[in-house]
Amino acid sequence: MPKRRDILAIVLIVLPWTLLITVWHQNAIAPLLAIRKASHHLIKELFIMPERLGVRWHQLADDGSDARRDAGQGPDSKEYCSSDKDIVEVVRTEYVYTRPPPWSDALPTIHVITPTYSRPVQKAELTRLANTFLHVTNLHWILVEDSQRRTALVTRLLHETGLNYTHLNVETPRNYKLRGDMRDPRIPRGTMQRNLALRWLRETCNVNQSQPAIVYFADDDNTYSLEVFEEMRSTRKVSVWPVAFVGGLRYESPKVNAAGKVYGWKTVFDPHRPFAIDMAGFAVNLRLILFKPQAYFKLRGVKGGYQESSLLRELVTLNDLEPKAANCTKILVWHTRTEKPVLVNEGKKGFTDPNLEI
Amino acid sequence: MKSLFYSRFFILLPWVLIVIIMIDIDTKRSSSRSPAHPYFSRLGNSQRLGRAPHNGNNNHSSLPTIYAITPTYSRAVQKAELTRLANTFRQVPRFHWIVVEDSNMRTELVSRFLERSGVPYTHLHVLTPRRYKRAGLPRATEQRNAGLGWLRQHRSPRDFGVVFFADDDNTYSLELFEEMRSTRKVSVWPVGLVGGRWYERPLVEKGRVVGWYTGWRADRPFAIDMAGFSVNIQVILANPKAVFKRRGSQPGMQESDFLKQITKVEELEPKAQNCTKVLVWHTRTEKVNLGNEPKHHQDTIQIEV
Repeated sequence: MPKRRDILAIVLIVLPWTLLITVWHQNAIAPLLAIRKASHHLIKELFIMPERLGVRWHQLADDGSDARRDAGQGPDSKEYCSSDKDIVEVVRTEYVYTRPPPWSDALPTIHVITPTYSRPVQKAELTRLANTFLHVTNLHWILVEDSQRRTALVTRLLHETGLNYTHLNVETPRNYKLRGDMRDPRIPRGTMQRNLALRWLRETCNVNQSQPAIVYFADDDNTYSLEVFEEMRSTRKVSVWPVAFVGGLRYESPKVNAAGKVYGWKTVFDPHRPFAIDMAGFAVNLRLILFKPQAYFKLRGVKGGYQESSLLRELVTLNDLEPKAANCTKILVWHTRTEKPVLVNEGKKGFTDPNLEI
Repeated sequence: MKSLFYSRFFILLPWVLIVIIMIDIDTKRSSSRSPAHPYFSRLGNSQRLGRAPHNGNNNHSSLPTIYAITPTYSRAVQKAELTRLANTFRQVPRFHWIVVEDSNMRTELVSRFLERSGVPYTHLHVLTPRRYKRAGLPRATEQRNAGLGWLRQHRSPRDFGVVFFADDDNTYSLELFEEMRSTRKVSVWPVGLVGGRWYERPLVEKGRVVGWYTGWRADRPFAIDMAGFSVNIQVILANPKAVFKRRGSQPGMQESDFLKQITKVEELEPKAQNCTKVLVWHTRTEKVNLGNEPKHHQDTIQIEV
């Protein structure tokens, strides 16, 4: 009889533990199976969303007194969700721009040089640029204003986005601007601003820096997919790719031969330019910029469409160009232009409150 | 005695653990499985299983989902516009993008784009009848109504959400989405670069909308742009007949005619600091110059732009 009781006791102990182990196994495996059965997008989403939300929670715990988060908090952020304190906090962090991905020492930095000037759509353009750049790891935004002084609008915008940025300014002298219409292609716009950014990079960055970096010229009205930034990260000297909506075509692209070398340009507008490419169609390794300190965009006497050539000519030859975007067969950047908004109802004196920033 | 106690304890312990785990699994299973059915709709619309808005056990369940209805149509800059929209929307949590194409079938370009966009989406399509495609007539009416119809079919009175109409060439700041999330019925805010002015906005006194500050037809009952308001999903569901009108509609009156059916000016909730900040801009993209394109395709490869 004691023997039976012992056996009973042993069974009673062993059984639940085996059950536990099998249940634990099932628990771990079944969700994974369910995920694999669904489309692979589900995996992407389930792992991306919690990650991003998780990051926010984590950062909330770390630096709850971050000034950036406190700036721009309206009084109505606590209006709703009065019950759960945790949810209030989550909402508060999302009130300001979400943070860019954490800095990684393994990836090359991308210095994005954007010239900008004041006009009605400026804040809108910079906002949607920032919304794109917030996705890119290791991005450093060099925004150069065409103005005498750094404007409050841009300063505030840059501060609120949370991006890594450098804010510069240089005013294009009037004799360069007023030679006809602003859209006259004979006057390259943004040249002085880009040159200032190049000079800043040369003064600030050390040639012996270990972390590689890429320089890219991004105009504020273009559209960039996130892939283009990943493509340009592997630039050794100068890399090129197709750009949509330039030169009166659906896209312009470099001609790439079977050996993966660029030998020409698929354009209609002056394909015999040394580098028949748009500003948004190439990226330069920072080391090359630093090794050739005399290379700048030419200011005077540059024919329309030759601005890019004026810089690239001094940096690299056709042979050294690296084609990206699947050997220049994919469009990753679009040269969109924003319409001038119709402001007829403002009248001569202006009707709306000029203090309301738009 | 002690050994007896210990032995009984250790025998009971694993059973208790099993019971706890079974309860836990049951709740997880019931919460993750039940929303699966509505997503595989009989209509065959391709949808993505987003973070289930029905999920009551989720920590963030109180965060209302933002439904953005975007009508779109094929033209050269379509993919570019959608790309930069997606770059913005991807930053917004609890977001559901309803893209409605003006076509009689789902185009390859948009389908492929949405799959890789990283945003939870629903892809619909409805063709605008030819007779409505004249200049001067309101645009995208059928598409927006299709979006509303989908919501009415796939969402229930238990859902928390906010619906807003996001045209594909506008620019949205991220703050806007947080402002609109708290909409109880219908909320409004200023829109930049519209109505022939720097901005249009509702006039607010003591937290209520009392008038409209606009440069164009200020006599409209709701002088606001499509991008200037959002509606709580329960209001949409409670007014199943409220749609954008075709018959007897004038351009520029679309928003008014729609809002008239679901709310009154006194009930509007002003956002963006009592309508003093511009968080959305009615930008328009220039028509692309394709003057140098040859009449017949000359390139050796076909590239999607």
